[in-house]
Amino acid sequence: MSYAEHFQEMEKGIGFAHAIAEADRCLLCYDAPCSKACPAETDPAAFIRKLRLRNITGAIRTIKENNILGGACGVLCPTSKLCEKECSATGISRPIEIGNIQRFLVEYGWQIGFKVFEKPEARKEKVAVIGSGPAGLSCAAELAKEGYQVTVFAERSEPGGVIRFGVPAYRFDKRFLKNELQDLYELGVGFQCNTKIEGKVGAEKLLSEGYKAVFLSPGLWGAQRLIPGAENIRGVFTSGDFLVALREERFEELGKQINGKTVAVIGGGSVAMDCVESANKLGAKDVYLVYRRSFAQMPAEEDERLEALRLGVHFLVLNQPVDYLTDSSGKVSALKLIRTQLAEPDASDRRKPVEIKGSEWELQIDFVVEAIGQKPDETVDWSPAVKLDKKGLIVADPVTSQASGKLIFAGGDIVRGPALVVEAVQDGKVAARAIAKALSRS
Amino acid sequence: MTAKNIDLSVDFAGLKFKNPFLLSSSPVSNSAEMVAQSFEAGWGGVVYKTLASGRWPIVHPSPRMNPYHHGSTKMVGLQNVEQISDRSLKDNLLDILYLKKNYPDHPIVASIMGFSTEDWQYVAKAAEDNGADMLELNFSCPHMTIEGSGHKVGQAFALLEGFTEAVKKVVKIPVMAKMTPNITDITEPAVFAKKGGADAISAVNTFRGISEIGRDDWIPKPNIFGVGAESGYSGPAVKPIALHFIADMAKCKDLGLPLSGIGGIETWVDVLEYLLVGATTIQVTTGIIHYGYRIVEDMAEGLRDYMASKGINKVADLIGKALPNLQETDHFDLERQGRAEYNYDICIGCGQCYIVCNDAAGQALEWEAEKRRPKLIEDKCLSCMVCSFVCPVPGLITFKEMPKRWQRKETAVMDPSLVKELKYQRFEEVDLKR
Repeated sequence: MSYAEHFQEMEKGIGFAHAIAEADRCLLCYDAPCSKACPAETDPAAFIRKLRLRNITGAIRTIKENNILGGACGVLCPTSKLCEKECSATGISRPIEIGNIQRFLVEYGWQIGFKVFEKPEARKEKVAVIGSGPAGLSCAAELAKEGYQVTVFAERSEPGGVIRFGVPAYRFDKRFLKNELQDLYELGVGFQCNTKIEGKVGAEKLLSEGYKAVFLSPGLWGAQRLIPGAENIRGVFTSGDFLVALREERFEELGKQINGKTVAVIGGGSVAMDCVESANKLGAKDVYLVYRRSFAQMPAEEDERLEALRLGVHFLVLNQPVDYLTDSSGKVSALKLIRTQLAEPDASDRRKPVEIKGSEWELQIDFVVEAIGQKPDETVDWSPAVKLDKKGLIVADPVTSQASGKLIFAGGDIVRGPALVVEAVQDGKVAARAIAKALSRS
Repeated sequence: MTAKNIDLSVDFAGLKFKNPFLLSSSPVSNSAEMVAQSFEAGWGGVVYKTLASGRWPIVHPSPRMNPYHHGSTKMVGLQNVEQISDRSLKDNLLDILYLKKNYPDHPIVASIMGFSTEDWQYVAKAAEDNGADMLELNFSCPHMTIEGSGHKVGQAFALLEGFTEAVKKVVKIPVMAKMTPNITDITEPAVFAKKGGADAISAVNTFRGISEIGRDDWIPKPNIFGVGAESGYSGPAVKPIALHFIADMAKCKDLGLPLSGIGGIETWVDVLEYLLVGATTIQVTTGIIHYGYRIVEDMAEGLRDYMASKGINKVADLIGKALPNLQETDHFDLERQGRAEYNYDICIGCGQCYIVCNDAAGQALEWEAEKRRPKLIEDKCLSCMVCSFVCPVPGLITFKEMPKRWQRKETAVMDPSLVKELKYQRFEEVDLKR
């Protein structure tokens, strides 16, 4: 059994001719709306114009100087909700494929060996970045460009955080990430992997060891659970554990539990869609997506939902999972569900599911993935060095991203809650600017 | 009138063509097999690829061509170093006989080239004796590798006249002279050809051009093993210039010969424009190199439908019909003025008009940022109309004539306060309003 081939590479991006055709279609707007729609200040109007006028290296520079993960954002960004949503070309036909062009340009730069960055003059100040996901990488790159000595501490074996271990490889692969990280290495960013920084103690220790500032961007690696004690039931995974296992290529272990079996994934977001698709690729006989509201209320992108349907995933909507049943060995054997009905909209402005009395039923299953929400890793306590809100998220200054009187800053999902890669990138940039400002003062 | 009643046939220098669409002398008319395919597709005739005596060997450079792309639009221009036919005269004549036998209603024009008076006569006679219905004298190839031939002849009027005369002496079929555009006034060589006895003029051959230069090796393309050369450039990019050459000849009172128009023709609209400035037949190569012979179907169908819509049932009624409207610029009525007119209702808010008006025109637009809409300051509009050229929405920006009393605002001096400080050099001031 070889599952590896389903989890190696993502689809190829568009090629030169396609990118040029899209650039030709671009209306090169005045005061371009696309360039105002990016959370990370990306300027598609500039890089598309540059491509149109055959200033291709300039276009690559425009992307990468602003966003060290420009390629990743080109691949992962929900562009139809951001830049492409604002595209004027929609008025005459359809939006320009901005995300595709962005990815093309970044990859083209790798292909021709174009280097955007020169190594800056070194400064002596050291900065520690905790977490190697989009926010951490972005912050590290910005500081390294200013000459600071940056070390990124990554808990797992390789840098990348959520884009290395939290999305399936067919959506974002290792090869692409490796290329994207190359600029950080060349800017002199140091990586210390397999290093978990233990909360407050760890962060303050770094400051005492000579790091002048610390940026906290550990992401959200804890999970909401369906019931207390779910972690003790064999065959019940969190989406985080499941995706990490896939990205650690533990295919044999997963295959044994999933191939030919019945799998239930609980949740209706993008992560749930990644999980059902992955279960499908691992050869599950039946994959159920269990969701308490209906199809239209799912937070996942429409194309993700449709893709899951196309793969043959059974959408079990209007069903609230309430409990697990286990067999004599302690392994999950069934999911206990209760049917729901939609009532008036709730605080999320989506119609609220209300349980239908007496409608409990049981779905026989062999394996469950809970994709019902991520939260901070509870084994790490950042307080009282930094303030936490009631969800356990770090409270940081919205302008400077500073989280403590000492030079501790924070950004990414640990501050925002679950958010987009492009938003984390922006957090990293904002924090880096504030850190550089603080360090140049001290 | 329906499209079915439209007659596309033309009489050209005494020959009847079932439609005005001809292959020009080039790779697209290299052999009977190819020409037969084109006739099946609907072409009305052929100017068969230039025959020569064979006394001077013809060797083609390799590679032969290079495109000029614009953005994602392929081949708006094409450069070639193609030579005249490298096949033996005998093979070509056998092919012409084959075409005559199998397609008797498709006139065959044999393009010929000689390298001396006697050589011209030899090829001309051979072509006539073996079925050619007409000759085209190639005075215009801009990249012959044999000295003293091609467009060098087309630029030396006495030589051109002499060779035409020599050919006319030995053949009875009509003779057409093909002009080079690599010249200032095309009517001069055309009139010399007429003096030599030419029955028709075809124009234009390709323009000397440089389509591209290698960015790594600085060798112009096509790169013939380290060497590039200025050579024949053709395609849609040259059409406006070629049309002007046809119009000039059509208007030339001393000429008065039927014209075969060549240069950048791909569509029935191109054909129509050539007819309107005075061509009776048209010839195509680059369009076929780009799309294949099949384009003739759209030329014929499109032209027929157009003629039906205009109530015109024969091509002759279109020939030269734009010429009375084509004048020197001093004929313009400058009393009548207009401006751009905007239909804001269909605007999609791209703002390209605003950029060009500000950077390249009358600075007559304001930008309403919130609404993402341009706003025309009407009396500043120069009516250059460049805004309408960049506007992606058809019909949004149109030209509107204004009443006589309408006045355009003059471009303001940037800082009139400087008048006091400036010391003018002496010059005679002219009253612009006079």
